[in-house]
Amino acid sequence: MSTAAALPVPGPRIGLLGWLTTTNHKHIGILYMTTTLGFFALAGLMALVIRADLTVPNHPIVGRQTYAELFTLHGTAMIFLVIAPFGLGIANYILPLQIGAPDMAYPRLNALSYWLFLLGGLVVMSGLLTRDGAAAAGWVAYAPLSTTGSPGSGMDLWIVGLLMVSASSIMTAINLIATTVLYRAPGMIMWRIPVFCWDMVVTSLLILMAFPPLAATLAMLLIDRRLGGHAFDPSQGGSAVVYQHLFWFFGHPEVYVMVLPYFGMITEIIPVFSRKPVFGYTAFVLTTLAIAGLSMAVWAHHMFTTGAVLNPFFSAMSLLIAVPTGIKYVNWVGTMWRGSIVFPTAMLFAVGFLLNFLIGGVTGVMLASPPIDFWTEDTYFIVAHMHYVLGGGSLFAVFAAVYYWFPKITGVMLRESWGRLQFWLVFVGFNATFWPMHLLGLWGMQRRVVTYPALPGWGAANLVATLGSAVLAVGVLVFLWNLWVSLRHRVPAGPDPWGGYTLEWATASPPPEFNFETIPPIRSERPVFDLHHPRASS
Amino acid sequence: MPGGATLQAGDIHHVWNVFFLAAIGVAGTVYILIFWCILRYRRRSNALPPQFRHQAVVETACAVAALLIVAGLFALSYAAEVRIERTDPRPAATVRVTGFDWSWRFEYAGGGPTVTGTPDHPPVLVVPAGRPVHITITSADVDHAFFVPGFLFKRDAMPGLVSSFDLVVTRPGTYRGECAEFCGLDHAAMNFTVSAVTPQAYEQWLRTQRTAGRLLQFHGGRPQSRPAGAAASGVGAP
Repeated sequence: MSTAAALPVPGPRIGLLGWLTTTNHKHIGILYMTTTLGFFALAGLMALVIRADLTVPNHPIVGRQTYAELFTLHGTAMIFLVIAPFGLGIANYILPLQIGAPDMAYPRLNALSYWLFLLGGLVVMSGLLTRDGAAAAGWVAYAPLSTTGSPGSGMDLWIVGLLMVSASSIMTAINLIATTVLYRAPGMIMWRIPVFCWDMVVTSLLILMAFPPLAATLAMLLIDRRLGGHAFDPSQGGSAVVYQHLFWFFGHPEVYVMVLPYFGMITEIIPVFSRKPVFGYTAFVLTTLAIAGLSMAVWAHHMFTTGAVLNPFFSAMSLLIAVPTGIKYVNWVGTMWRGSIVFPTAMLFAVGFLLNFLIGGVTGVMLASPPIDFWTEDTYFIVAHMHYVLGGGSLFAVFAAVYYWFPKITGVMLRESWGRLQFWLVFVGFNATFWPMHLLGLWGMQRRVVTYPALPGWGAANLVATLGSAVLAVGVLVFLWNLWVSLRHRVPAGPDPWGGYTLEWATASPPPEFNFETIPPIRSERPVFDLHHPRASS
Repeated sequence: MPGGATLQAGDIHHVWNVFFLAAIGVAGTVYILIFWCILRYRRRSNALPPQFRHQAVVETACAVAALLIVAGLFALSYAAEVRIERTDPRPAATVRVTGFDWSWRFEYAGGGPTVTGTPDHPPVLVVPAGRPVHITITSADVDHAFFVPGFLFKRDAMPGLVSSFDLVVTRPGTYRGECAEFCGLDHAAMNFTVSAVTPQAYEQWLRTQRTAGRLLQFHGGRPQSRPAGAAASGVGAP
């Protein structure tokens, strides 16, 4: 802490014009993260209305059109505007620091990416202001429901907005790869970059493979809708099945775009708070590559019930992807094994990730079996599964990452007392909301319904889910309060409040404009640990 | 979870049971290990713990175990799927199911009746219990899915695609059916009922339907055997 006093006053005061024109990776990272927080609040409010609507059977509180817009925008925002871009945002800030670089490889491209992302998100949401309302065909926008079935301009705005977001993601992916390949500090060979950086490189490769097909599919949708195209019109030789293939060819790699960065983040956090190196660094990197490769060949497991795909192939590939994902648990448990573990809020959320993601993981293995899909596809079982992956998994890792890197980014600590309270509220609220949905799905409650009949158990399970969502919402309010309080009454963090391993902890908090005065020698993936424990590292 | 009411559902439920037990076994083991670490390896002193980085035997053993588990699960799931998708060359009834915004049309092959529903009057699919029923399915407008929770089974109804499957309902009774693929405003109201009756009662029902159809035609009424969904099927078009 004593060195912190000598460092420049934290908080980049660059003014409005500065924020609008910045090309500094740290400012852009902050812009990304605060923007995703805004979209998260919006999409979270939508989810609360959805849950309120489903509280009791046969008593919807919103209209059918409004309900369809709500679940469409909730899914779209959480996926395209929150979980995926938060990973890119935090990578923007942290990745150059972790590899010892002064900035991203292409700073102006980086700024363009951010502004395209913000604009795209606003364009998607602007559908709410149109006469016919926003897009209402679900986040998957299956044709022909999204073409002939959705005449309103909200659907066009959704398509154009997501085209911008996909262009933005492609540029950021190129930037992250180029930065990691070209701008590593001397000694930082690829087998020494932190696992988070590896995961961002692999995520970027997945973006480069998955987002161009998405952009092409969105363009085809727009052409079908406005320029008289027939790509997805069965009466003119187009195909509704092909739409699903194209969409999921993007959509399943996208799941890993929303998961791999968070694997990386908690694999930074768990070793530091266990005071051990990551267990099986090489295995971790190889399994990340294996997941990425396999994820390009599992898309049609979203189509097992169409009767139009080679189910056994996609079933086998989907089951296979459980192997490298399972090895990650060997990495995480092995890292904690015989460690010396402390549990600040960041570590609590990381452990919460391990517990929740495991449930999403094993239900994912079930869903790799076509016969089980015949039963559970498009029911609340799927809703439960994917919220355990993306909410209980990725979102918990978002909170872990915020608590872990907030001191680096702002120079001040978040309050641990509020943090612990938030963790327990979010953990209990999350599980109360989504665990009953497994049962609802097995009982036959289908997705995307505005209301449901009063069948045995349905009312009770939905009531528990709605109450859970209220607890979850209180947890998020505590988080926002914690951000506010911690920024108002500043507790200086110093350069390295956690005993961190990676290079971002070898500079001031927040770091100076070009990040480093000096860089310690890099002889492993945790140079700062080596610096402080010269004897422990062989 | 109770099993389903068809021969095919028996296989589905069996696959579920095995996957569920495997999931409980694997997740339970990992949970125990995680909680062991949390409780046993809390920081008690400032001494640096052992800094080991690899344990090739453990890593390889876990990978091989995971591979064996998923290989076994695949074999089970694949064998079940083959049985579920097997179709009888001589079904007791063949029905063409068409989903449209927002109800269903059931056309019985061989000059049988056509039943068309509306969101307010969900149609009933009458089938003979204990006999193979062959169903071909498509959609007149957007994607739908024919889902009977009591059969643990669904199949998508998609425009421009006709797919088919068999059902053998083992227990007579009525079963709630719903649309499982979001298809627009009245998605939640796109329900139907499957009524499985004895083969004798089924033959009887077919005969009454034929007579009723002829009578309606004779009296100039709206015959049920006409595709009454013709108007409704255009709803999805602009």
